[in-house]
Amino acid sequence: MRAEYVNSFYKAIKEVFELMIDIVPQRSNMRMVDSLVSNKDANVILEVKGNLQGTILFSFPQDMILKMMKIMSGMDVDKIDSFASSALGEVANIIGGNALTNLAEQNYICDIAPPQIFVGEHKALSIVDEKALQLTLTTPIGEFDITISLNENQSE
Amino acid sequence: MMWKDKYKIGVELIDQQHKELFRRVSDFTETIRNEQNWEDKLDKVKETMVFMQEYVIAHFDAEEAYQEEINYPDIENHKEAHAKFKEGINDYVKIFEEEGFNEAKIQEFGGRLMTWLIMHVGRTDQKIGEYVRSKGGQA
Repeated sequence: MRAEYVNSFYKAIKEVFELMIDIVPQRSNMRMVDSLVSNKDANVILEVKGNLQGTILFSFPQDMILKMMKIMSGMDVDKIDSFASSALGEVANIIGGNALTNLAEQNYICDIAPPQIFVGEHKALSIVDEKALQLTLTTPIGEFDITISLNENQSE
Repeated sequence: MMWKDKYKIGVELIDQQHKELFRRVSDFTETIRNEQNWEDKLDKVKETMVFMQEYVIAHFDAEEAYQEEINYPDIENHKEAHAKFKEGINDYVKIFEEEGFNEAKIQEFGGRLMTWLIMHVGRTDQKIGEYVRSKGGQA
């Protein structure tokens, strides 16, 4: 796992969160994991294809998502319903798009598939061929994880 | 209210229109999310959606006219972003017309619309303000 993959996503997360949620997440823990596990209340998966291929998993606790929705909409949101989950998926999609723009500057040309959102499912989503990198980010409204499993596509 | 002063671009005409756009999207969002029974508020949902859609088109047209007026160099990319935004709305409108105004689907649309609007005004439109400032204009 190259550092530029992680840095591209971290930079995109900071920019999108600052614009949309008015906060800048800070890196805390980073660890290698064997599988993509949804260990929080709501999860968004982005599949990456192109010069790099693999999966990005965002995992958020419910309380943090509800606070994010309040900051964005100005309204109280008391559960992760279709409104909240689609907004969350779109935020992750925008982060993914920005990260791919950052990667393109380093000559990795990739696309992402539409986000898949899983709410309330704590389960292993897939076993990855090589270890994935899981980064925990802290914010004043909670902690969330991003797990990055990306490899260079040998057939490209 | 979804509007925040940090979304201002520093051009009075556009900022006023953006505030109105956010107001109409907020009205739509509040309507679909209030506690009232879905069937009872369906007419209001449709009304606020049409009211929001009309203003999206009117504002995008006005903003593009302003960009032409100031010879904004990135106008073609910006027009493309507007076209994609409208296409995103129209795709959902088509679903509602064909499959009915299903509550979960409209909530899904509301969540996406809010995100698209914040990204477009909060980032893409900021470049118009930067251009105006670079030319010594108001900001």
